[in-house]
Amino acid sequence: MTKTLLLGLDGATFTVLDGFMKEAGEEGVVMPYLAQLVKTGYSAPLKSTAHPLTPPAWTSVSTGRTPGHHGIYDFVRFEDLGKDVYFTLYDSRDIRVETFWQIAGRQGKSVVSLNFPMLAPPPEVNGALVPGFVSWKHLRRNMHPKSLFDRIKAIEGFDAQELSWDFEREGQIGEIMPDAELHDWVEGHLPRDKQWFNIGLALLSEDQPDIFALMLDGVDKIQHQAWHRLDPKYWHPDEADEAAHKVRQVVLRYYRELDTYIERLHKAAGPDVHLVIVSDHGFTGAEKVVRINRYLGELGHLTWAKSDGSEAAKRRDLANFANLDWENTQAFCPTPSSNGVVIRKQSEACPNGVPAAEYAAFRAKLIEDLLALEDPETGERVITAVQTREDAFPGAAMEDAPDLTLTLCDHGFVSVKNLEPAVVTRPVPMGTHHPDGIFVMTGPGVENRRGPAMSIVDTTTIVAHAAGMEIPKDFEGKIPATLYQPAHIAANPVKIGAAAGQNAAVKSDQEASDEQKEEVLAQLRMLGYLED
Amino acid sequence: MLQTLDIEHRLKSTLDEFVADWGLDAEITAETWLVEDLGFDSIDVIQFIVAVETAFDKRNVGFQELIMQDGRYVDDLSVGQMATFLEARLPAA
Repeated sequence: MTKTLLLGLDGATFTVLDGFMKEAGEEGVVMPYLAQLVKTGYSAPLKSTAHPLTPPAWTSVSTGRTPGHHGIYDFVRFEDLGKDVYFTLYDSRDIRVETFWQIAGRQGKSVVSLNFPMLAPPPEVNGALVPGFVSWKHLRRNMHPKSLFDRIKAIEGFDAQELSWDFEREGQIGEIMPDAELHDWVEGHLPRDKQWFNIGLALLSEDQPDIFALMLDGVDKIQHQAWHRLDPKYWHPDEADEAAHKVRQVVLRYYRELDTYIERLHKAAGPDVHLVIVSDHGFTGAEKVVRINRYLGELGHLTWAKSDGSEAAKRRDLANFANLDWENTQAFCPTPSSNGVVIRKQSEACPNGVPAAEYAAFRAKLIEDLLALEDPETGERVITAVQTREDAFPGAAMEDAPDLTLTLCDHGFVSVKNLEPAVVTRPVPMGTHHPDGIFVMTGPGVENRRGPAMSIVDTTTIVAHAAGMEIPKDFEGKIPATLYQPAHIAANPVKIGAAAGQNAAVKSDQEASDEQKEEVLAQLRMLGYLED
Repeated sequence: MLQTLDIEHRLKSTLDEFVADWGLDAEITAETWLVEDLGFDSIDVIQFIVAVETAFDKRNVGFQELIMQDGRYVDDLSVGQMATFLEARLPAA
């Protein structure tokens, strides 16, 4: 019998949900079931990772660790080769620590984990795991166990293309769309979450895992594009035309369907289940475009790549990662989603990098210059905080983090395009990530109240405890003191166990890297550079 | 070193499995081009590298040196090119 049900709603925010849980004229109560859960259970704002972004934040839920320990910072990672920078995608092999899904298996718990990102290739778990953000073409290979694809394929209505991540469609996020186009774009997202729900319901009912976890990411996608039709700050029904109302209606249809998915999964799990609903970050509206690499260029820290006009060069210019003259670049932002600035250090491969002795002064001056960037329209500063990596991402994986992480005045993501001016106002506000996500929990012994802000890593500790597991001593989260009734926590005390393991793939990389070092040392010895 | 034919054979079987659900009707040979013949996009290339690294149980083979030439991502790759590259990079079996 399932004991713990974890539902992830990517990007869900009380800014929107509070309104949907109340009677609102013709729209009625959009999410009555969620309203009931909040009314009878525990809810709180959930603080995301230092940079509130899907890959690091959901990986924190999947590991119970902050990014400085798990090592995932963005969708895209890069390798600095000196003359070039090679961009590729993060994958599960980059997660430095064992995932919660594996730890649960070691403690004898069965799991079903669906659609959590950064988990491809999938780790072996005691149960079933389908990673999120995988194209339909790669689904079969990326499921655990291997036979799962054929089982899922047999579920009535299954459609791999509807289920999977459509890179072309998601690449349109950020484009300005007329309402008619936006309506169709939003409508195109509805079947995806329905597919995940169908799979979830089937595996929950048939397998009855100890821990069932499903992430639905339509909330994030729809909020990015249709925020101006959602946020009470921007949505003024009396001023909206018919096309705008049609967008609002299809968006509400999505949230109504989402509410029924929550209800049906909760009921399928049984009455004594602990239900935990979390988002990886919240949402708000971004009004500014901040072309950070343009500004870094104006400061003299980077040089743009010269285009030869070829098709390949045009494609590269359009790609959403920095396209620079790497031999003449000292500081750059790699991707819009990173909101990070990387300072290149001087080395044999990168002779024009910042010398080690000058790094501290260079970084301090850069922080000062970044904080000084002003919006020419208002004279106000557009970067409100610059965090160093030791402040934002302490841990064994800190060296992989950007040197600096920026927070913009409207929480927006930066642009890495070579356009001017460096700061401009968007014609339409765009949905962007806010650090405050949501936490909602119901079940035996759970208090009925709104609690103080929690950390995203608390989620994993809470789920592990609710499932009757020992909490690995290196988990960074805690059970909030106000979450449970005193009698419940007295009868079910938190048990701390052995630390979680390392990711086996990372360990084998480390061993490989040690082998390579040994080979180099052996060659140097042969050449007489080293004495034994 | 692994022999070219062994590598090619393992590459081809990895690729066969990789495109199994794509509805293609193409025989995989050393002369098969990923983009032109199999319709790979950039995400497919990244995923295929992961699949190859998994098949050969070796990460960080240095595929970036095959994919990036003169500061540019190459337009296409053949199975034969990948096999030759792997032959030079993989340690003895």
